[in-house]
Amino acid sequence: MTSSPGAEWSRLSPRMLLVHPVHEVLRQIPVIVGTLVLGSATGNPTIAIVVLVVTVAFGVARWFTTSYRIGPGDIQLRTGLLQRKVLSLPRNRIRSVSTDSRLLHRLLGLTVLRVSTGQEAKREGAFALDAVEAAEVPRLRAVLLADSLTPDTEEFATPGRVLARWQLSWLRYSPLSFTGLAMIVAAVGLAYQGGIAAALQDSGIEQSGAAFADRLGVATTVIAAAVVVLVASSLLSVLQSLLSYGNLELRRDAEVLHLKHGLLRVREHTFDMRRLRGGTLREPLLVRLFGGARLDAVMTGVDGAGEASMLLPPCQKSTAETVLADLIVQPDAVRGPLRRHGPAATRRRWTRALALPAVAAVVLLAVPLPTPTWAWVVLALFTVCCALLALDRSRSLGHRVGDGWLVARTGSVQRTRDCIAAPGIIGWTVRQTLMQRRAGVATLIAATAAGVKHYQVVDVPAEIAWSVAAEASPWVATSKWADHSG
Amino acid sequence: MGDPTNPPSRKAPLVWALGAAIPWALLAVGQVVWFVIGHSRLWLNAVAAAVTVVGSLVFIVVVPLWRYRVHRWDVSSEAVYTRSGWLVQERRIAPISRVQTVDTERGPLDRLFGLANVTVTTASSAGAVRIVALDVDVADRVVAQLTDIAAVGDEDAT
Repeated sequence: MTSSPGAEWSRLSPRMLLVHPVHEVLRQIPVIVGTLVLGSATGNPTIAIVVLVVTVAFGVARWFTTSYRIGPGDIQLRTGLLQRKVLSLPRNRIRSVSTDSRLLHRLLGLTVLRVSTGQEAKREGAFALDAVEAAEVPRLRAVLLADSLTPDTEEFATPGRVLARWQLSWLRYSPLSFTGLAMIVAAVGLAYQGGIAAALQDSGIEQSGAAFADRLGVATTVIAAAVVVLVASSLLSVLQSLLSYGNLELRRDAEVLHLKHGLLRVREHTFDMRRLRGGTLREPLLVRLFGGARLDAVMTGVDGAGEASMLLPPCQKSTAETVLADLIVQPDAVRGPLRRHGPAATRRRWTRALALPAVAAVVLLAVPLPTPTWAWVVLALFTVCCALLALDRSRSLGHRVGDGWLVARTGSVQRTRDCIAAPGIIGWTVRQTLMQRRAGVATLIAATAAGVKHYQVVDVPAEIAWSVAAEASPWVATSKWADHSG
Repeated sequence: MGDPTNPPSRKAPLVWALGAAIPWALLAVGQVVWFVIGHSRLWLNAVAAAVTVVGSLVFIVVVPLWRYRVHRWDVSSEAVYTRSGWLVQERRIAPISRVQTVDTERGPLDRLFGLANVTVTTASSAGAVRIVALDVDVADRVVAQLTDIAAVGDEDAT
């Protein structure tokens, strides 16, 4: 506490007096519904009223018990009504500041401000100011990042260069995601739990539906249902993508990268460019077919996978490439040709992909019963798919090293191209399974403190694995184990 | 790239074998109990016994010797370098200038036989280098050497 004398404890926005009770009531809905049911059953509504009042009081009390202060050395957050908690962060550990405002917050002009130190913060360990007034945010952000970024005030005043802006055409990549399907499954699950399915049982809707299905026949019903689900999931995916990424803007102010997106719920991330160690271009198969890609940042102190590191959602591949090339100032790493991994690696892709169809064929042959023709047709189709997969996987495989960058590309269904700054690599592993030793290939793994921490170059010829490492990291080349013969 | 030169302690295969023998012995005891109290399905007992014998032979005899042949380690003034594994073999190198912590860890069996494992961690969770089954005096020397060199560096190590 003595580390920050002079700094005042400040409270969150008083408007949270409205938000907290609502959130608290929403959180306690099962209890409140339970007491309501109990009250109507016993004819005594007092319990329900008492519970409601207590819940609202808790919400109000949360505002009075939460306070924060920004001291010269660290920032502190005091929370808790019954169990008091003080969370302190040293200011020089602050790696990024992100903001998030959901609908209710936006209506009241509020913003949640999150401070990340790059440690894997648990839910309650995270430093979040929920919430401050939106007008306060630029000032707080500047103050919080001041220690780790030393920004020029003018640079914060004048908006920097815009690297990418959301375009309507980006929507074309979103029907191909599984978001919509996941939402439908979740909704159906919720409906079943809520007892809606039970309510539908034997109701008029179900009976007329069953009669309709009877008239159509099984096959038509299944196809119709599939089409309906597919269309609905595509629409939901597009809608979700529009709402969460609409008016996305990626802006660079000197050493800071700002990402802002969302129509209803606005989120804003701030990245420290000096912690950028590269980027990953992701091309999921369905997005790649339409010439799209997405871009993730590889940064120290930012979680490697998932939303925290996302720079661009699925968009035109050229856009993603241009932005990455701009960020890492190394167009060759982003677009340059890759060195292929040779016949042994290709052979391994093929044997792996065709193993499953081969086993299936053996099983079909071994079964004493007469196999129906459709089984062979399905197997043939499956084999063709596997062969295409093998072809694509072996064509994806490649790496590139030089100019201080390591680039590795792998995968087909989830093709990724990792571009990693060689100075950020702090360890190398050459891994060989028994099969890899026999095939004369090895998997080279670069360890970094950034992103997902390990980046793999899959199935490089064993004899060049270490030379790739040596070319990227001088300390490998000059170590006493390096064979200088070549 | 050459290989690291130093083998682990000569007692390493023995310790690894004992470590593997304990669970396999428990399994064998369980099977004896099963054989005594269960009277039917003798062939099932026989199959389980055969699997146990083969498994314990592999894991108590073959694997420790195999690992002893693979495991090597080396420390220079700039880097620490190891080779480990048996079916899946790994060679791992990390620069000492980026080392963050050096830990020594000794399990009950290690203590009984005077062995120690040294783990060298860097800022990357994927880059930790582990030198297993060293004699205690060798491990102490390695730790002293590593901390000596690592203390010189004052960078962020990321």
